[in-house]
Amino acid sequence: MMLKQAAKKALGLTSRQSTPWSVGIFRSYHENVIDHYDNPRNVGSFDKNDPNVGTGLVGAPACGDVMKLQIKVDEKTGQIVDARFKTFGCGSAIASSSVATEWVKGKAMDDVLTIKNTEIAKHLSLPPVKLHCSMLAEDAIKAAVKDYKEKRVKTNGAAAAGETTQA
Amino acid sequence: MVASMTTLIRRTYPLTSRCNSLATIAAIQSQTQLPRESLQHHSSAEGRLRFSGRVFCSESGGEERRSSGCWNCGEKAAFLFCNSCRSIQPVDDSVDYFQIFGLEKKYEIDPGSLEGKYKDWQKKLHPDLVHNKSKKERDYAAEQSAKVTEACRTLTKRLSRAMYIMKLNGVNVNEEETITDPTLLMEIMELRETISEADDSTALNQIRSQVQEKLKHWSDSFVEAFESQRFDDAVKCIQRMTYYERACEEIVKKL
Repeated sequence: MMLKQAAKKALGLTSRQSTPWSVGIFRSYHENVIDHYDNPRNVGSFDKNDPNVGTGLVGAPACGDVMKLQIKVDEKTGQIVDARFKTFGCGSAIASSSVATEWVKGKAMDDVLTIKNTEIAKHLSLPPVKLHCSMLAEDAIKAAVKDYKEKRVKTNGAAAAGETTQA
Repeated sequence: MVASMTTLIRRTYPLTSRCNSLATIAAIQSQTQLPRESLQHHSSAEGRLRFSGRVFCSESGGEERRSSGCWNCGEKAAFLFCNSCRSIQPVDDSVDYFQIFGLEKKYEIDPGSLEGKYKDWQKKLHPDLVHNKSKKERDYAAEQSAKVTEACRTLTKRLSRAMYIMKLNGVNVNEEETITDPTLLMEIMELRETISEADDSTALNQIRSQVQEKLKHWSDSFVEAFESQRFDDAVKCIQRMTYYERACEEIVKKL
């Protein structure tokens, strides 16, 4: 009895939809995926040129997906204070990037670099064929952090040059 | 006594009938450690045969390997279908899609030439035509007919044809790798955004024709890259084409 309940939960079926033997037959999206798809968090954009914004733009050419993930960083603390995403792709890709924006908020930049695609996939119960969607989200996070750091280097470099010429 | 031993061995280790019994006995013997002397009088003039313990057949592959000719009447030139006795042949994996349609292995083909040939094949291979035949032949019909359908589908569309011809040349395009090319991705992002914001069919059709033009352009670039054996560039062309095809699909969905 307990095993059946666990199986139902894993497949995202509520008690209303219980059918004894057909549980294993339907391969539907997990309820977490549906939730992120219907109510995606943090859809939108920041101004790319804002010095506190890092933009990660990645794509999966095999399925024609494109994912943009942006982070807003507090320059004093190095913490990510806000995040936005925009993804054109399948439900799993959209959900993966939505989860990614939720998980990076409030974390230090170096912490988010340790977020693994397998954790995202597990949270969404992604089937093997959709694992690359979570990989795309992991790559998007890394790209956003990289972009922010490169921007900081440029602005610091420019500021330093400005100081020397003014002196 | 040895005869019954042979029967016992054949039952526990089922093999295709093509393998000769001496090989069977010798192979099993190395596993069961029977004294060689009891089997001596079965040895052929070759003397002691050493086997590693694996079954060693004088012919390889058993039923999967196609000996030349029709399985039914032996007619030599039986390509997918034997015109002599009208029986359907089993699928030969070494036959590629271009061969099925009698086309040169080139990317540029006349898609109009596919339909006629496709219908001709299905008139001979379709499973509906073989209800009265043996199970074996009905299975062959199902597989051959499916392969011909898949071949037609693959060769009709430019993108799938491009990926297939790359595959035939040993380059597997469909790797699930992430790309970060900012120019391409920004262009695609903007394209998809424009599509999702467009409301009326005029705007959408306009975008669609622009994308079709891009598809044609990159298809031509693919041909150039492929024929000059610049496979990396060819892969990039295919990637772009994939993105444009996806965009077209989204437009069609909205229309």
